[in-house]
Formats: sequence, C-alpha cells, structure tokens
Amino acid sequence: MSDATDDTKQPKPEDGFGQLVWTLDRGLRWPEDILNLLAAVATMFLVLIGVYQIVVGMRDLCFPIPGTYPSDDWWVAPSFGFEDYCVPLINAPMFGYIDMIELAMPILAIIGIAYCMRMGTHIRMDLFIGRMKGRPLWTIETFNALVMLIFALLMARFSYDFFDDAFTLGDSTTDAEIDTWPSKLLVPLAFCLLAVRLMVQFLGALRLAANPALPPVGVIVQKDIAEQAQEEIREAMGSTR
Amino acid sequence: MKEWLFGEAADTPGALFGIGYNFDVCLFAATETDPGTACGPLLVGTICILLLFGLAILGVRVAFAAGIAGMVGMIEMIGFGPGVSTVGTIPYAKTSLYALSVLPPFILIGFLAYHAGMTAKLFDAARKWIGWVPGGLAVATVMAQAGFAAVSGASTATAAVFSRVAIPEMLRNGYNKRLAAGVVAAGGTLATLIPPSAILVIYALIVEESVGALLLAGFLPGVVSALIYAAIIILWAKVQPDAGPSVGGYKWGERLKALPGIIPIFFVAGIIIWSIYTGKATVTEAGALGAFVILIVAFTQGMRFGGLKDALMETARLTVMIFTLIWGIFIFVTFLNYSTVPQAFSQWIVDLPYNPYLILLAILIGYAVLGMFMDAIGMLLVTLPIFYPAVMALNGGDYVTRETSAFGLSSTEASIWFGIIVVKMAEVCLITPPIGLNCFVVNGVRPDIPLGDVFKGIAIFFIADVIAIAALVLFPDIVLFLPDLMSPG
Repeated sequence: MSDATDDTKQPKPEDGFGQLVWTLDRGLRWPEDILNLLAAVATMFLVLIGVYQIVVGMRDLCFPIPGTYPSDDWWVAPSFGFEDYCVPLINAPMFGYIDMIELAMPILAIIGIAYCMRMGTHIRMDLFIGRMKGRPLWTIETFNALVMLIFALLMARFSYDFFDDAFTLGDSTTDAEIDTWPSKLLVPLAFCLLAVRLMVQFLGALRLAANPALPPVGVIVQKDIAEQAQEEIREAMGSTR
Repeated sequence: MKEWLFGEAADTPGALFGIGYNFDVCLFAATETDPGTACGPLLVGTICILLLFGLAILGVRVAFAAGIAGMVGMIEMIGFGPGVSTVGTIPYAKTSLYALSVLPPFILIGFLAYHAGMTAKLFDAARKWIGWVPGGLAVATVMAQAGFAAVSGASTATAAVFSRVAIPEMLRNGYNKRLAAGVVAAGGTLATLIPPSAILVIYALIVEESVGALLLAGFLPGVVSALIYAAIIILWAKVQPDAGPSVGGYKWGERLKALPGIIPIFFVAGIIIWSIYTGKATVTEAGALGAFVILIVAFTQGMRFGGLKDALMETARLTVMIFTLIWGIFIFVTFLNYSTVPQAFSQWIVDLPYNPYLILLAILIGYAVLGMFMDAIGMLLVTLPIFYPAVMALNGGDYVTRETSAFGLSSTEASIWFGIIVVKMAEVCLITPPIGLNCFVVNGVRPDIPLGDVFKGIAIFFIADVIAIAALVLFPDIVLFLPDLMSPG
C-alpha cells in the first residue's frame, strides 16, 4: 500500500508532537492487524464451511430413482418435493449453519473497520479535496477526522446499548438458539478501536495543519488517480512482478 | 444506561433545529397564492441530503458522510434518545444477514483469479478459436475478458491483468495502439455484469430483491455487451485492415488442446448458476466452492501460502469497506423514510408531463454526469434511495402488472431491469474522462501507451456502451429472460 500510514520504513519524526502521534500510530497497528487477520481467517472458514455444506453435507443433493421421475428435467426438481423421487446421498448438514454464519458476520464485516480506515480503503470523493495542498488540505482533513470521530464515539456508545439489551434479556437466534450478545459486543468494540484510530488521524492532521512542512505521520496521504490505478494493479496481480 | 453519558437527553422531535415536525417552517415560506415548499420533515430531509453531499465533497468517507447525515436527521425527526438508539442497532442488524455472506467468497475469487493463471489460458484459447476474424486478437481479448469475468467481479482488476497478457501480444502483431488499449480498458467493465458480481449483490440487498435473480439477470447483458464490442472491433478492422490483422492457421487439435486449461472457469460459473436455478445450494455455498476450486488451481500454479494470506487480507479489507458502505447507507435510508423525501420525489417524477422513457433518459444522463466524479459503488448507493423508488413509481408502483405499467414490466421485473441498467451505467463511468479508472489502470501497466491514446481508443467502445444501454432499455427481455426461467409462471 502506498499510504503513508502503512509505510513501516518511515522514520520517527523529530518534533515531540510528531513522536507522540507516531507512537500512538504504531501502538494501534497490532490490534488493527490482528482484527483484520481474524477477519481473513473467518473468510477462509466461511469458504471451507461452504464447501463442506455443498460437497460433504450434500444438503439436498440426491439420486433420482430411475423410473419414478415425472420428467427428464430432474436437475430442477426441488420445486416438487424431490424426496418422493430420489434418495439423499449423504445427509449430514451442519446444525445451525445459517445462524452461525449470521453471528459471524460482524467478524467478517465490521471488526476490520479501523484497519480499513488506516489503509484509506473506505471510498471517498476526491474531486475537490484531491486538488487541495498544504494547510487548507490539512485543515479540512482535521475537520473530517473530527466529524468522523464524533460519529464513531456515538456509534460505539449506542451500539453498546444494543449489546446490553441482548445480554440482559438473553437474546438468542431463532433456529439453533445461540446467544447473540458476543456477536453484538464486537460492534461497539470495533467502533472504539475506530475512534482511537480517528483520534490519531485527527492529531496527525492537526499537526500538519499547524505546520504543513513536517513529514506526515498518522494520516492518509492523498493519492491521485494514477497512484490509485497503481494500487488496483498491485491488488489484482500481487507485487509488481 | 444513557443517563450517565447524556443525562436527560431531549427526546422530543425537532431536537437540533426545531423543525422536525414543525410544518410552519418551510424552505420557501407560504404566501397567499403558494402553500410553501418542503415544510417540516421534508425540509429536514432536504437539509440532510445537502449535508451528505457537503460532507462527501469535503472528503469525509462516503459511508460515514451517509451515516452522519442520517444520524443528524434521525435526531431531528424523533429526538436524541430514540434517534441514536435506532442508528446504533443498524450496523449489526444490516450486516448479520446470511444473504450478505455471499460477498466475501465472491471477492476472494476475484483476488485469487490472477494467481490461478486463468488469464493467459483464456486468452490463448480465445485466440486459437476466434483469432481468424478481422481484428482477431482484439475480439479474442474481449471474449477472454468475458470469460475471466466469470471468476472476477472487479472491473479494474480485469483491465489490469489483461493489460499485461493481451496488449503485448496485440502490439507484436502490429495492432493499433489505441485499439489494443481501448479494448482492454472497455472489456474490463464486463466483469460487473457477468456473475459473480459484488455490485449486483449490493444492489439486490438495497432494493430487497432476490440476489440470485440479479446475478442471473446480469449474464445476458454481459454477453450482449461483449458481442457489441466484438462487432465494433470487426467493423474497425474491416474499415482499417492494418489496425487489427487476423491471426489464423490454428489446427483443430491445437484448439481442442487449449480447452482443458479453462475448465475451472466454466466450473465456477456453472456452480453459481446451478445453485441459483436449482436451489440445492445457497449462493454463498456455491461461491465458497468456486473460491475453493480457484484456490486449488492457484496452488497448482505455484501460489504460496503468503499469496493466500495476502488475498485473504485484501478480501477482508474490501469486505469491510463494502459493508461499511451498506450500513452507512442504511442509516441514511432509515432516516429518509421518516423524512418522506423519497415519496415526495417519486410523486414529483410521476406528475411530470413527459414520456416515462424521456424521464428515464434524464435520470441515466444524471448518472453519467455523477459518475464522472464518484466511484461506481459509492454513486449507486448514494443515489438509489432516492432514484429507485422514483423509477418504480414511474413504472406504476408496487403492485403493477405488465399491462398497466409504463415500461411494460411488473414491479419485480422493473426493479431487476433498472438494476442492470444503472450498474452498466456506473461501469461506463469507469472508462470516461476525467476519472475513468480503467484507462488509468491500462496506462499504469503500459506506461508506453499515453493516457490520451487510451482515451481515444476507448471512444468507440463508449459508443458501443451507449448502444448496449439503449438495447437494454428497449428490449428488457435481454435482462429478464434468465431470471424469468427461474420463477415458474
């Protein structure tokens, strides 16, 4: 990634405030990386469980019994009660599969949000801000980080209530009756981490707004469209071989 | 719980500006002859839409701009406590859905596709089978890209990998630089229509249609687009034979030998379509099996564990980005429904004294303009909450039949049809200046082809896209043929 925030070779800045932001930024990286790694592992599990369901579980796949089939389009059979015409091959679907996937969705979809923010992956419109430089740019970036920070704090605070209700009332999934609170707890945790990351971005932008000549630390450095294209190429084909 | 942080929060509507349900406050105050415009909730809606765009233009991440505007609006409409409590449940409620679990496997397939070495094999097979037509290598590129689309939902990624595989081959055979670059940039856009396509899944979720129906619906329009591209290339090569000489002379044995290498692609496309048609597996399971097969192929092609880890990390990151957009937009949509803006806008559109097709054309032109400034997914998500209900109302509302509707489509059909058209529209924006990302990607891989030449090469494909969109608008059966087969009757 070409984001300044992920440039591990970047030296520690000389100014005291910069060093503080640098330290906070580095300190935040390992929880962010671990959470995104967890999401990556969960993605692999999602794939493997899906393969199990389809190949080993053979949920609905069955042999047509010769002579009993009403038509030769046996492969579109499910709409007319196929068990009358065929026998299950192996029928061992995973119990509560859908419930488990739904409860795991915050791992796949939410806990990496701070990592995503650090990498600058959340999309934005570059048309206006892409043309700004120096102090005006960093002043706007300070404002942006502050607005998102307030939002993240409110979200953390009130998604906690949602968890709290589930915990107090003992909410569970309808099918397999698994408790939902551990899954709901992930949301406020992810927002807390996001708030800390936005705090770092806010401080980093504030530092550059005060003195745009300093080396950037803890902020996302603007990429123009050609650099974005380079990034797309890297993502599609791995390292530029 | 709330008291320790906010004390006795003002739980009355109109908490921020005092206009939530105050119908005396209007955008343009009532006079004796005019009843006034956008009062109360409608005014809040208008302000928050402006807030969303204001924040987005300032560079606040689109998902957050939508979330913030939605939260401000909710607080205004139903008071602080109820407002933020409702908003606080949305990220969990809108992501913990089984239907959404289809996205990570689809995205993973795309990231693994290059490592599986499918690009070169597809191009090789396409060249041997159809290289003999005028502009043969360029036509082969389009067909190979259409095939690659079956394992990739990302337009820019498809353009990137084919820039590396197809452009050198075309230039070696004396092809016009502009044609070579243009075809690769344009062919990349096929990826979003041919399943698996993440953007169509997102559309289906936002408008509450069947994910399977949308995925199937994209297939034929993707194929039709590819055929129109091919026709244009052949025409170009006929008019200017030096621009794209044909490459022939392959024996049938060579052609058949090229086929086994591309079997995994047909397998992935087949398993997804099979699962949608038969319902014997969910689309997530089919996507998972597809990803697994591509993973195995990638390992046999020399991908290491490190490559898998990178692909998974990238997948996780992109997944979070898309989900953040989804729940951010849902916060905004929840608020919009309180504000009655979509209903008012729909009513206004329906009352316009113009032909529905003319209004649709105006909306599509609006998309083309917006697409010049915004990323495709962001543009779709931000505009759909307003435009989708309006187009549905234009067609005749929720319970309309084919006979009584404006476009000759039932409401479900209209919703699928409009989805394919706007997604195609958003893709066109990937090849138009000033931010046609696909063109920049081609130029990024091949810096020897100037950006100006890429944009000149793309011009003719832009015309092809306009023809394709016109065909989709006028002949909705291209979109609806496959989904109609799915539902009996």
